[in-house]
Amino acid sequence: MKVRIAAVGDIHMGEDLRGRFRPRFAGIEERADVLLLAGDLTRHGTEEEGRVVADEFRDLPIPVVAVLGNHDYHSDAEEIISVLLRNAGMIVLDDQATVIECHGETLGIVGGKGFGGGFAGKCASEFGEPETKAFVRHTKDIAERWRVALKETPADHRVVLAHYSPVKDTLEGEPKEIYPFLGSYLLAEAVDAEGADLIVHGHAHLGCEKGLTPGGIRVRNVALPVLGRAYGVYSLKEDLNV
Amino acid sequence: MAGEAPQYVAARVQRALAEDERTHELGIRVDVRGDQIFLRGQVGDEYRRETIAGVAGEAAPELELHNEISVVEVRDPGEEENL
Ligand SMILES: [Fe+2]
Ligand SMILES: [Fe+2]
Repeated sequence: MKVRIAAVGDIHMGEDLRGRFRPRFAGIEERADVLLLAGDLTRHGTEEEGRVVADEFRDLPIPVVAVLGNHDYHSDAEEIISVLLRNAGMIVLDDQATVIECHGETLGIVGGKGFGGGFAGKCASEFGEPETKAFVRHTKDIAERWRVALKETPADHRVVLAHYSPVKDTLEGEPKEIYPFLGSYLLAEAVDAEGADLIVHGHAHLGCEKGLTPGGIRVRNVALPVLGRAYGVYSLKEDLNV
Repeated sequence: MAGEAPQYVAARVQRALAEDERTHELGIRVDVRGDQIFLRGQVGDEYRRETIAGVAGEAAPELELHNEISVVEVRDPGEEENL
């Protein structure tokens, strides 16, 4: 059986959207084996909004794996939000890996928020003021943690779940001037080094769905305004060696 | 005093939409043309659409506001993609 990945990001929930998505996830177990949530689950990053998200995805019949996005950090409540989501049965990744069994095969998911910096040849570097260095260092540290997590997670299939984009292909439609705030090539470089079957991300609401890393890994921007549907479903090639 | 350049007005409104705690909205395009201001983008519901227009109106009360923001439709998941 193929492993089928459902994914969506940037649902930006608040009390006003409570219950909006739940009906759309009915029957998801017939379409997919796992649901990935690609960050920006809230609007303001408050505990109250975290509760709305937790209730919306509580006890779905398939595993739900989430990362947070920049909006979920805005009110300094990211840890409380993570706890609320975990208590609702979700797996929340912060630069870590988890392994799920699907039809007797293993699916390794490495997930984290990611960060910005820009794309090869047009990016910030670790030089100059401490504020600039800290910005770039944050992305480098994240990329290194993803690389290690991938290396240490052998599985039949591997997917990377992020909020920020690893490539600019999926940013097409966004103003070029803000690309450095939308993602970083360092993320793609780390994943290309260790290999994966798919990278999903959100954050770029005006971007487009499909792209590729320089190493040829498929990238999908699953931000809700980009998808225009409750979630995308991506089925991975069968592992014929099993 | 010369009138404020339209680019600065647009930037001020965009910043207000991002930083105002009623909105925290980063994905709205703001264009100023003459004495008119245009808002474009997608949001989750009508309430947010109206709130954004309110905050933008406060940040640039002298302009005529055109709220062209649409409410994102959440359609059913549709076909799967084979990778
Ligand atoms: Fe977002
Ligand atoms: Fe975001």
